[in-house]
Amino acid sequence: MLKGFGGRQLRINLSTGEIRTSPLDPTFARKWLGGRGFVAKILYDEVPRNADPFGPENRLVVTPGVFSGNFGPSGSKCSFGAVSPLSNGEGDSTVGGHFGPELKFAGYDLIVFQGISPKPVYLFIDDDRVELRDASAYWGQGTMETEAALKRDLGEDFEIAAVGPAAENRVVFACIGHDYGRQAGRCGVGAVMGGKRLKAIAVRGTRSTPLHDLPTLKELTLRIIKRTAQHPNMAPWQKYGTAMFVGWSNEHGVYPTHNFQTTYFDRYAGIDGGPLVERILVTNKACFGCWMNCGKYSKVQIEGKDTVYVEGPEYETGSLCGGNCGFDQIEQVAYVNWLCDTVGIDTMTGGNIIAFAMECYEKGLITREQLEGHELRWGNLEDVEHFIRMVVERRGIGEYFARGYQAAAAYIGGGAERYTCQVKGQGMSGYDGRGAPAMLLAYMTADIGAHHNRAWTITMDEDLGKDVIRGKAKVVVHLQHIRPLFDTISSCRLFWGEIDVTDQEHIDAIKLMTGWDDFTLEEAMRLSERIWNLNRAHFLERNGGPGRKFDYPNARFYEEAVPSGPAKGARLTLADLDVMLDEYYAARGWGLDGNPSREVLEDLGLEDVATNLERAGLLGQLSAPLPPVRGEKYKPKAF
Amino acid sequence: MMTVYLKGGGLLREYLQPDVDEYTRRVEVAEGRTLRQILEAIGIRPVHVAMAFVGNRLVNLAYVPSDGETITLRPPVQGG
Repeated sequence: MLKGFGGRQLRINLSTGEIRTSPLDPTFARKWLGGRGFVAKILYDEVPRNADPFGPENRLVVTPGVFSGNFGPSGSKCSFGAVSPLSNGEGDSTVGGHFGPELKFAGYDLIVFQGISPKPVYLFIDDDRVELRDASAYWGQGTMETEAALKRDLGEDFEIAAVGPAAENRVVFACIGHDYGRQAGRCGVGAVMGGKRLKAIAVRGTRSTPLHDLPTLKELTLRIIKRTAQHPNMAPWQKYGTAMFVGWSNEHGVYPTHNFQTTYFDRYAGIDGGPLVERILVTNKACFGCWMNCGKYSKVQIEGKDTVYVEGPEYETGSLCGGNCGFDQIEQVAYVNWLCDTVGIDTMTGGNIIAFAMECYEKGLITREQLEGHELRWGNLEDVEHFIRMVVERRGIGEYFARGYQAAAAYIGGGAERYTCQVKGQGMSGYDGRGAPAMLLAYMTADIGAHHNRAWTITMDEDLGKDVIRGKAKVVVHLQHIRPLFDTISSCRLFWGEIDVTDQEHIDAIKLMTGWDDFTLEEAMRLSERIWNLNRAHFLERNGGPGRKFDYPNARFYEEAVPSGPAKGARLTLADLDVMLDEYYAARGWGLDGNPSREVLEDLGLEDVATNLERAGLLGQLSAPLPPVRGEKYKPKAF
Repeated sequence: MMTVYLKGGGLLREYLQPDVDEYTRRVEVAEGRTLRQILEAIGIRPVHVAMAFVGNRLVNLAYVPSDGETITLRPPVQGG
């Protein structure tokens, strides 16, 4: 019997209404672990390479991993995955809260949706009872409104994941909302869900997950709780969450300002963690099984607006919907946060898209007439609210922004592509890479496009030198294996990064949950590398090659110097980016064209993938021997 | 001279090299030194400190500690 898992999977064809339940294959579970691992493998195996991300052949994969719902050091996460309408490659995004654990309690480790429903539906799961139900009454409602309505109609003990109007209208950066303000935000997974006319998933589970050694697991977890309660990061973390890092990011010249035109926002003091705690915070909020409760639940009161409640703002929203859009008051940022959450768009790519449009307006590339008589000025809430509604409702020029950067830039013309701060269609996270070259490399090479959660290097960039290009790629590769691993096991990365729950403690917990006594950190890291290579191959098979041509940001990041602030003058060239890419591909054992080599793929047990790439003419050629250990652990004192 | 105790976890711990307990380092400094000067004197770059607290009170790197005071240092979030 498979321990640590719910043990079942659901296959749902939304076109026909067919629902199939089957056992989870233990070999598959061990090889791919869950979460992002299941997503990568299923999308690679099942989605035809020419399938439209919004077509019936795309899959929406919903999967908690092994930690989810179990009594380990955090187990709140659930992954949502699909071929992304942003990148046209594998996309996955995780959400905390309580949804993943509830799925496990109902006995499910995996739901795979295919097809498109002829009418709006939601998936109802009450342990063994699984039904597609009419969602017409909820269609058009916001994410939080839908969650409240479903809880009212079904019961408070159901956990809900829902999409809003943006997803219904296939806005490519639409997200999936849960727990009144948490999101699987990135990669447009919500857009795929809405495109399938799947409004929500409601789940209630009452089962226990079978565990290999619960007493020892309890002992381990209680020991970790006791130890970390005294951790010096705990109290400030609980009080401020991530929002406090606006000031820090600004001080170190990496804070995106006015669509990444510069990296210092002189009016940041009104949107830092201090104002959040002092002016709008109602209470802290925690995910399932978490004793850090870093979530911030806030009340926003702005004259002329309804009073609204929002979870956040987190740092990423505080940067990309903050200084990047010119907002200097926490209430404004929180209101934009609420608006994005309600209509169901990712505040990160959403914040980027708004700022992109603002810069186009500033430069005269978008006219007032195209904005239905409105303006789009930095820091103007009315302008932003109107623009968001144009995009979500796909009105006028909003139609092109709803399709993503490429469509918008092509429509606007005038060199607007320079102002699209993205890689592979995914808006950049809230750190500017011109004063942090490894961070830019991490964005350039991330499998899902520019996302900080794959690798974050700002302090390493400072340690090694903000203008140093060489010698950082191996660290980026290592981080790209360890950080996404937490999305595979469905554990919150912050326990590892913030309060020193060790990687080995996570492995020990997996062994106690599953009984896989021979499971090691090395196996987990190899799995992470296998997933990375599989996603790269998938991306190439869908988009063609060479892979290298997709690994560049917009020209701002290699042609413009930072004009102000602590990083003033920081500038990278295209040659710098090429040096970093050469080192990166070498560290991965890929060809210099950015395509994975047969040697690496076979070493990772992906022989079939190597054959597929070879047939498509996309196999990388090694110009040097395969590195014996790919990537290198980040040991800051060693530099 | 006076004694200041610096406390930190996460990545910061590797730079701090605690010697009192798992997280705390004892530092002997001249009176009147700012927190920034103290950190630089023991080889910690300011980028590794996002927040500093005296008890529950938030202070910045210009803060001048008193003799015997404990300063809790919070590293950046490593990607918020």
